[in-house]
Amino acid sequence: MMTFMLAKESLDVIYINIWAIVISLVNLLILFLLLKKFLFKPVTRIMAERRAKVDAIVSDAEAARAAAEADKAAYAERMAAADADAAEVIRRATATATRESEAIVATARERAAAVKKQAESDIAQEKKKAVNELKGEISDISMTIAEQVVGREVTPADHHAMIDAFIAGMDSGDSHA
Amino acid sequence: MTKTIRFRLIDALLIAMMILPFIGCIVLKVLFTPPSEGVSVTGPLVYLQLGIKPQPLYITEATMVSLAVIIAVFALCLYLTHGLSVECRTKRQLIAEMIVEKVTDFVTGNMGMRFVGFAPFVAAILALSALSSLSSLLGLFPPTSDINIVAGWAILVFILMTHYKLRGGVGHYLKSFGDPIPIFYPFNVFSEVATPVSMTFRHYGNILSGGVITALIATALAGLSSKILGLFSGAGWYTTYIATIPFLRVGLPAVLSIYFDVFSGCLQAFIFAMLTMLNISGGYPEEEAAARAAKREARRTKRLAKKTEKRVAKGAGAATIGVLTSPDTPDEEK
Repeated sequence: MMTFMLAKESLDVIYINIWAIVISLVNLLILFLLLKKFLFKPVTRIMAERRAKVDAIVSDAEAARAAAEADKAAYAERMAAADADAAEVIRRATATATRESEAIVATARERAAAVKKQAESDIAQEKKKAVNELKGEISDISMTIAEQVVGREVTPADHHAMIDAFIAGMDSGDSHA
Repeated sequence: MTKTIRFRLIDALLIAMMILPFIGCIVLKVLFTPPSEGVSVTGPLVYLQLGIKPQPLYITEATMVSLAVIIAVFALCLYLTHGLSVECRTKRQLIAEMIVEKVTDFVTGNMGMRFVGFAPFVAAILALSALSSLSSLLGLFPPTSDINIVAGWAILVFILMTHYKLRGGVGHYLKSFGDPIPIFYPFNVFSEVATPVSMTFRHYGNILSGGVITALIATALAGLSSKILGLFSGAGWYTTYIATIPFLRVGLPAVLSIYFDVFSGCLQAFIFAMLTMLNISGGYPEEEAAARAAKREARRTKRLAKKTEKRVAKGAGAATIGVLTSPDTPDEEK
């Protein structure tokens, strides 16, 4: 039988009541479960999430740095390769240029030699022609001069001697020209 | 982060949920307190009495204050974890994280990583015990000065302690009482039983004695002040009235209250939590439990191995049959 009454009195300072003990035990268990479910679980979950986030950021940064380093290495490699390429190009160009310049110089020298030869032969021919023309003209002039001079006072012997001497003089002068 | 009206409303509700239970307790107490002369030291007020066998169930002031403390702590949990974010933008989240971290460190430091799951339990003991003791600051009956309340906690701790001791096997548990020499057996059993009793009396006695001393000093100061006032006042109608003013009660009881209510309450909560942790983790028979766990594991792997062996044997049999019956075997070609 269960009786139910409102009481308005105090208990003794020391009393033992089995229900009070059970209620208090259950209260502690309930508070434990409440704290676990509503304080510890959400807070630890949030903290774990934050740790995961920070870890992700750190690993991302690590990956980015590794990528940057790889890029840098690749860049340096490519730069070295480019330097080598440039050196090769320059070397090849220099070689080609040298070869071409040598060929040009050789051709020019050849052509110059040919021109010179041609010019020399031309000059020699012209000179011969000129000498022959001069010889004819001089003999003509000398003849006329000699006739004018000799007509008055020179003997034929003198005349021959004079002509010979003149021609000898011309020859020596000709050899000098 | 701008707080929405909804967010603020829930906050206000939670704060009200923290405060209102205590106000309710005070109102109940005021309604139910019988008129009395002078200061008396009594147990908790009884509000309701249910006649159940074997003992009547009393709904007392201690029960109500315990309930108020639980509701308030629950509301505090909800308030602190309201609006949690990964970025940790609010002060209350800092506080919540600090509480969780500190208690977890405290528990793992005293009990080891194995008992990390005890952190909420220890936090519950600390909160319930400290707030119950501190409720005397509101003029309420502190539930911790009711022996049954503390006994309930101590019995729970004893159950947990024994549960962990039994992890090493019942034989080992019974044998552990005759530890140095078998003659000690009864003494060890007695000391085992005495553990929850001593925990109960330590906590309950400290809080109750604080209340008793406060009451005694208050009575003494009232008597002293009426004596002093009686000396100075002459005859007249007002003399009896003035002489009842306990002016000496101003000051000294407040200072004593800081020790008996605040300091002693928090200290006893800490001691109770500490003893809980040490009793549970200290009695744990590590080697025995590890040996038993290893044995169980070995048995399970053996059973598993046997099962897989059987299955393999069956599979191999099936394969052999397949080899014999399948048309493209080299034997048949020959």
